[in-house]
Amino acid sequence: MKKIVLIVCAFLGMTATAQVKKVSLQASGLTCSMCSNAIFKSLKTLDFVSDVDANIKTSTFDISFKPGAAVNFDQLKKKVEDAGFFVANFTATMQFDKQVLNSDEHVNVHGMLLHFLDAKGQTIEGEQKLKLLDKGYVSAKTWKQNNKLTKMECYKTGVAAACCSKGSGTEGKRVFHVTI
Amino acid sequence: MRNILAALLLLTTGRAYTQELFVYTEPASNMSAKSLGARLTQNFSDEQGRLNYMVKPEVMLGLSKKLMFHADAIFSSDRHNSFGINGAGLYAKYRFYSIDEVHRHFRMAAFGSYSFANNHITDAYIQLQNRSSGYEAGLIATRLKDKLALSAGASVVHALDNRRQLFKYGDAQRNALNYSLSSGLLLLPKEYTSYQQTNLNVMLEVLGQVNLGNGQSIIDLAPSVQLIFNSRMRLDLGYRQPLLKSGYRNMSPGGLVRLEYNFFNVFK
Repeated sequence: MKKIVLIVCAFLGMTATAQVKKVSLQASGLTCSMCSNAIFKSLKTLDFVSDVDANIKTSTFDISFKPGAAVNFDQLKKKVEDAGFFVANFTATMQFDKQVLNSDEHVNVHGMLLHFLDAKGQTIEGEQKLKLLDKGYVSAKTWKQNNKLTKMECYKTGVAAACCSKGSGTEGKRVFHVTI
Repeated sequence: MRNILAALLLLTTGRAYTQELFVYTEPASNMSAKSLGARLTQNFSDEQGRLNYMVKPEVMLGLSKKLMFHADAIFSSDRHNSFGINGAGLYAKYRFYSIDEVHRHFRMAAFGSYSFANNHITDAYIQLQNRSSGYEAGLIATRLKDKLALSAGASVVHALDNRRQLFKYGDAQRNALNYSLSSGLLLLPKEYTSYQQTNLNVMLEVLGQVNLGNGQSIIDLAPSVQLIFNSRMRLDLGYRQPLLKSGYRNMSPGGLVRLEYNFFNVFK
């Protein structure tokens, strides 16, 4: 039984990669090109990042990834913060198999836990653009306002609480709060 | 001296860490974490008819996104026109508050510094990282809104004895209040299209010191111009003009030329 579980987990691990097609993030706190360059150079140090296309005027960075590499959103955010700035907007383009989205439900998308804050029971499939609403991925003011979108503890903490996991064993796992 | 200047100008320069790139003061923003910077500042001032030339090489280290350190050495000419190392200093800054929005921020930082100097002491004016031994602690607040940055700083400075001479003005005069108001405006380019465009910033700073012992003070106006090439090279040209005739300081502060370079991601 253990062997089967391990094989399934390995399979899930493999398919967890290559699901994030690209990320477009907008940084806050800067105007000039030298600061933009600091963020650009900081993002480029991540080994899963293949290319960064910077728009200095709008402070946006379109990031593409190496094929098969595991994309880590929190590391992308950390690189912007290490450069001395913050993330104001974060949109991830992701590939979905047929997925039903229910309100306040945690969806396991190939190893990544997603919580859709505006789900209405719709079904999605294929390439979708998701906007992240977690702390540190929007301005502090926006994050505070968004707390009214869900009563669940995970939006404040960023990890699945006991109430959210419903016996699925995901308590304590990182969950990303998104809208589509 | 011409050869020194030529060699300095040939140094590659470049840094990309903060946009409130004030020439005479530090902003509340920090360097990128894990980056190393090198700076070479030259000051030209008039001390009772004698040209005082100071060169200050400085190394800057971004330890984390909130904490940075500087270490510097002072090379200057003394009253016998002999040029050599005349001091050294350390500086630390910690950014403790930051609210950011797109193209805007409000930040606050605390800083401290220590320097020692070799010079003879000819007035009670306290200038660390230059002519005076001592330590300083203060706060900076910086506001960026689109192309304009404004900053205010205040600190308390305490003079220690210089190596060559004791501070001879009495203990009450060892303490002073430093204050500054800085503004910087991004003039060029009008619109950003690439990292290769030349940037032109203009700054205007007001720098003052009030001695807490004798109440004497100075207040200077410091305009400066800054060119940035390829989002990597930075050249500062500044001039400090005294606004008050004061017996507190017998040196006219003069002009400044600075070059900078940054090494990114130097350690994991």
